[in-house]
Amino acid sequence: MSNEVVVKVRGVTKRFGDRVIFENISLDVHKSEVVAIIGPSGVGKSTFIRCINHLHSFDEGTIDVQGFRLVGGQSPSKAELQALHNSVGMVFQTFNLFPHLTVLDNIVLAPMQVKKQARQQAIDRAMHLLAMVGLQNRANTFPKRLSGGEQQRVAICRALAMEPEIMLFDEPTSMLDPELVGDVLEFIQRLARTGMTMVLVTHEMMFAKEVADTVVVMADHGIAEMGPAREVLESPRTERARSFLRRVLNPVGSPREPNLVANGGDDR
Amino acid sequence: MALGRMSRIRPLSTVSTVFIEVVRSIPVLVILFLVYYSLGQIGIKLTGMAAAIVGLGAFYATLYAEVFRAGILGVDNGQREAAIALGLSHRDVLRKIILPEAFFSILPNATNQLSNLIKDTSLVFTIGVADLMFQAQSASAVTFEPMDMFLLAGVIYFLFYLILSKVLARWELNVQRSRS
Repeated sequence: MSNEVVVKVRGVTKRFGDRVIFENISLDVHKSEVVAIIGPSGVGKSTFIRCINHLHSFDEGTIDVQGFRLVGGQSPSKAELQALHNSVGMVFQTFNLFPHLTVLDNIVLAPMQVKKQARQQAIDRAMHLLAMVGLQNRANTFPKRLSGGEQQRVAICRALAMEPEIMLFDEPTSMLDPELVGDVLEFIQRLARTGMTMVLVTHEMMFAKEVADTVVVMADHGIAEMGPAREVLESPRTERARSFLRRVLNPVGSPREPNLVANGGDDR
Repeated sequence: MALGRMSRIRPLSTVSTVFIEVVRSIPVLVILFLVYYSLGQIGIKLTGMAAAIVGLGAFYATLYAEVFRAGILGVDNGQREAAIALGLSHRDVLRKIILPEAFFSILPNATNQLSNLIKDTSLVFTIGVADLMFQAQSASAVTFEPMDMFLLAGVIYFLFYLILSKVLARWELNVQRSRS
């Protein structure tokens, strides 16, 4: 992690009609930093990371991504959005592979259409990425023939094929069967080690503690607590973060304290 | 027309919506009469054949517009998001992702409408086009056996329909297979 700030969020507010989703969020993401966003469902975690690559607009504040500035209430030009999407990759909860295209075509589509790469060059890169996740022999299969874990790994390859500077993950493992989660998390962890800047929304507390540099707890329309991963997860300072962690780590309500994460919290 | 209705450009979507809703709510027989007789009165004289093509064409265009619109709206929004997040232009999102995916859900509906179109062509004899119904009518005037002639016409329509629906069903199956 360096001191260079690649995503700078200042005072961002998002409303749907009259309903406030979140208010006045400020956050810095440094180059090669891994930021995990956790918090109860419905607090706008997914909506927030969608604001970073402008899949959702927001109402107030500014987000600077790699020198591009998104301003609340204003729509950026097509060229600006294009540049933004070129440098920010995204992975979705529901994978969202294109069902009418093979695994390989899913990956080479954007490099060919957007970056105007030659097909062979795009294929070489795609096969290299697929080899990294052991799926090179599934290149000509259609997505629905793959398991959820395989689909998600392909989806990550698809985003990486555009050679992004920043990767956003929106609950990448919450649609997966428990035994398939490991492969996907392992790939994300490997990616983190290569120095990729990442913002991920996750419910995997152990994973967050292991991989993330910074943990952000979102609650009550804002950031309840933010800090180094271990500190936040093991000894949260705010009551809001503490009660959330207590509930996540002890879903059945045994009177253990949240700092049991330190001892390995084997709840999942 | 479907794209027009969903367009963000207000006048375009209004015009398309009004046209679709008006035309599709009028019985096709009325449309044929309007095109053939009423347009004739205001100086646009069409032959029976031309009026039949314009009338049925306009009516079915609106039905198809709605079939396409349903198909396009039926594509999961996640697909759009994924395509946009990859940096694809709006045009490419539509061309490479939305339309090809919508095609699969559009196909069965579209082929249904085609079968309806064949049957609705029987209405054009009312504006003097010498179609199958017209032939059956005039034949029965000669033979004085309307029952048999119209039965024959019905059988011919049925055969047309059968052949067409078999061909289309085969095509649908092929398309679905090619996908998995």
